[in-house]
Formats: sequence, structure tokens, C-alpha cells
Amino acid sequence: MNKHKGLLFILPGLIGFALFYIIPFIVSVGYSFMSRPVGGDFVGLRNYIDLLQSPAYRLGFRNTMVFMGLSVPLNMAFSLGLALLIKNTGQYKPLYILIFLIPLVIPSGAMVFFWRVLFGSNRLGIDWLNSEYAMITVLIIFVWKNLGFNLVLFLSGLSNIPKTYYEAAKMDGAGGFRIFCNITFPNLLPISVIVLLMSIINSFKVFREVYLLMGAYPHESVYMLQHFMNNNFFSLNYPRLTAATTLFSLVMVVLTWGLLRLERRTSHV
Amino acid sequence: MSKTLLINAFLVVIGFVFLFPLLVTVTNSFMPEQEILLHYRTDLSLFDRIHGIEERSVFFRLIPQNITLAQYRIVLFDSPLFLMLLVNSMRMTVPVVLGSLIISLLTAYGFTCWRWKYKEILFFIYIVVMLMPLQAVLVPNFIVADWLGITRSHWAIILPGIFAPFGTFLMRQSMKGIPAECYEAAQIDGANELGIFTYIVIPQMKSGMTALAMLVFIEYWNVVEQAVIFIRDFNMEPLSVFLSRIADGRMGVIFAASSVYMLFPFLWLFAGQEHLEKGIELSGLK
Repeated sequence: MNKHKGLLFILPGLIGFALFYIIPFIVSVGYSFMSRPVGGDFVGLRNYIDLLQSPAYRLGFRNTMVFMGLSVPLNMAFSLGLALLIKNTGQYKPLYILIFLIPLVIPSGAMVFFWRVLFGSNRLGIDWLNSEYAMITVLIIFVWKNLGFNLVLFLSGLSNIPKTYYEAAKMDGAGGFRIFCNITFPNLLPISVIVLLMSIINSFKVFREVYLLMGAYPHESVYMLQHFMNNNFFSLNYPRLTAATTLFSLVMVVLTWGLLRLERRTSHV
Repeated sequence: MSKTLLINAFLVVIGFVFLFPLLVTVTNSFMPEQEILLHYRTDLSLFDRIHGIEERSVFFRLIPQNITLAQYRIVLFDSPLFLMLLVNSMRMTVPVVLGSLIISLLTAYGFTCWRWKYKEILFFIYIVVMLMPLQAVLVPNFIVADWLGITRSHWAIILPGIFAPFGTFLMRQSMKGIPAECYEAAQIDGANELGIFTYIVIPQMKSGMTALAMLVFIEYWNVVEQAVIFIRDFNMEPLSVFLSRIADGRMGVIFAASSVYMLFPFLWLFAGQEHLEKGIELSGLK
């Protein structure tokens, strides 16, 4: 009996979690195979085929992939570079971290006007919000906002590398570049996989800024998967929504599982 | 050492660039409305047309020519709208922060002391759901809200927030820092689970709880997606969505309104920067 006492503590949370996440999730997967949620027929994979043939979905999917492919490496490279610079700044270190954490806590809505002015008035003769350049605008805003998150993770990874490693390398007369390649880089690999995973997850949050700044129908180069889902919400197109959700989740599960396996592998080298 | 100086100089410059949006917002909130309109309106005035100006370039101005608190007065005292929206944001954020603290602490402790061989599989489900992008979770959230008949109320946002798996995950991560001897010693002294939870776990979880409260506050103070989907009534909107639409009509108050809005998460950040850092480190999966 004593064995299951913990269940009592879990129960309130578990019931809520099941009610708000697990059960509707299963229901939503079920809906994705039906022509209509109530009184519909089983239609097999037709919703998925319709979804994959929809030009809006394809556009959103492609743009999301392009954005992820650019934003994640950019953000990781910048934050790693900054972490290496900030690492040895001694007493100023908390101050620098604070500066880069500030964008993270600023609510997106409070910055919309600033971005609109900054990117709005044909600066350098480019229409930053309504042309192919909109992707660059979104990338700038994303890196500005999310750099701090990665920075903290990288700094904690760097501080976990024993100082003796560096001292030994210096005794052997290794230069800065060789120290990075042989000590910093391999020891930072496990945390880098974590940063990669968190960056991918955070990259979905960029929708907030894009939506507030450019609305439900932005320039087609930044029309994301989230726009597609958000816009289908207004027509409550359940077959499309649930199929898109199921597909999205499936991709995320596979991706997460793969990355976590990679992390296990890198940390046991 | 000159190398250190160079690094610091570089960091100061980058730091300034990063803080620039914030600086502009705060300093311009003290500008009189005429000055703001003069600097930031992009549509052409009659005066421009007479002078043959076809395009206005807008440049940020860091230091106002005249300093006034007029915009703050308008935002805080003259119109009830802004305060109402602030209250809306509060009404969503505070229940989620408090609720998720309680639920997450209990659930995480349950996972620690429950001896069931499949509990890690259950916990893995928590992690998978936690990693889902918001858009993937919104459809299930909407289905439940529909069942409960709360699709047009704040509860459609609050309830899923309270039971979100992230809190449980973060608290469990944080609980791993409590040494096993603490539990054993308490058990030998005859304490039951509830006693251990109240007298051993909670006192040692203060830092983790603060970290969770901060992260949840920041997230829900900035709520956008859920509000766009669930809230159709303008009077129930949170500040975040409202501010994105304020831009055209009432440009004068935008900076002051944004500054007030930012103040709350800033107070958290300055009160406990180390807690936020800890929260981020803990959310890195291990």
C-alpha cells in the first residue's frame, strides 16, 4: 500500500494533464481520420492527402523549414561566440548576461511598434516587411529575442569543463584555436545537442512576433505553418486542423527522440 | 591586458545594440505627443506635400527634446481601457503561475516518491507533450474548452496553463538537487510523505519554485496565440494583442503603454536574475 502513496500526489496533476492534453490529443488524432468530427465517416488518410496537396500548407511547411534551417544555426553560432567571449569577463559577467536576457522577458507586444518603425520606412531602399526580405527581418528579431536563452545554456556548459584541462593544454603549449578544437568543442557537444533541441522548440515561438508585426496574412515568404493552423482555426476546419496537428506532433516526436539519442551518445564519448 | 579591454569594448557595443529597442521605448515614453508624431508618423502631411516631400524617413530619437509624464498620465489615469487590459493580463497570468506552482510541486514530488515500475514511461509522455509546439497543443486545448463550454473565456487559457507539463518537468529536475539522505533521515524519524513534502521538499525548492514562477509569468504575460484563438471580445484581450493594434490611431501613448507593460517582467528579472538563469539551465533536458 505504502508503495503507491506517491500516486496521491500525482493524481490532481495527472487528471488535469489527461483531461487537457492526453485525452483531447487522442480524440484529435481520431478526428483526423474522419470527414467531420460529429457524425462523420471514416475517410482513412484522405484528410492527410488533402492537407499535403493544399498549397497554403506546403507554403507554410516550406517556410517553417527554411526559417528553422537558418535561425537555429545562426542563433547557436552567435550565442556560442558570445558565451566564449563572456566566459572570462569576471565581475562584469552577470551584467552581460543580464543585457542578453532582457529581450527574452520583454513581451512581444511591447516591441511591435519599435520593429514597425525600424523596418517600416523603406530603410536602405528595401521594403523589410512586405518583400522577400521579410525573412531577414524575422531572423533578426528571432536572434535578438532568443540569444540569451542559448547563451545561459552554453555558459553553464562551459563552466562545467574542468579548468585543469585548459591548464594542461597550456602547459603543452597549445594555442587558442587548438584548445577550442580539442577541449572546448568536444566537451561542449552534449550541451550543444540540448541547445539545438531547445532552439528548434523556441524557433516555433517566432510566430508571435510575425503575427503581431505582419498579421494573419504576411508576405508569402514568411507565411509559416503556424499561420496555416491559426487561419484554419477561424473556419474551425477540424479535418485539416487535426491532420496538421497529428503530422506536426509526429515529426516532433521523431525529431526529439533522435536528438535525445544523439545527446546520450555524445555524452558517453 | 589589452585583449580583455577589446573583448569588453566589443561586448559593450553589442550590448548597446541589443538594448537599443528597450532604450528607445523607455526614453520616448517621456516624449510629448507632438514630438512623437513629428518623428514617427510615416504618412505624408499637407506640409510635406507643399514642400514636395514624397517619402518620410523615420529615425529613432534617443533623447527627447521635452520631457513630460503626459503619456503615462493618459495611459494610467485618463482612459480606463489600458488599465482594464492590464487587469486582463493579470487575470490570466496570476492564476496560471499560482496554479502551476502547486500542481507541479505535488506532481513532481509524486514522481519522486512513487515506486511504480512504469512511472518513467508516464513521465516520458509529459516530456513529449512539453516539447510540442504551441500550435500542436492548441487543437486539443480547443476540443476540451469546447466540451467544457469555456471557449470564449479566460479559463480556456488558464486551465491548460496550470496543467502544462513544463512545470512538472522543471520541478522534478529541480528536486533532483535534494540529496537522498534528506528523505532517508526524515523517514527514520518517522515522517510520512506529507511531512517530508512540507518540511523537507518545499523549503529546499524555493529557488526552483521562483525559477518556475518567473518562466511561467514571462510566458503568460506575453500570451498571444491562445488569446487570438480563444478571446473574441476586445474587452477581454490581454495587453500583448492590443498593443500590436494600437500603432496607427494613438501613436502618442504607445511607448508609455509598452513601458508599463514591460515593467512587470523586468521587476522579476532584476529581483532574481540568477533564478531565471537557473530556470533556463534546468529546462535544458538532461
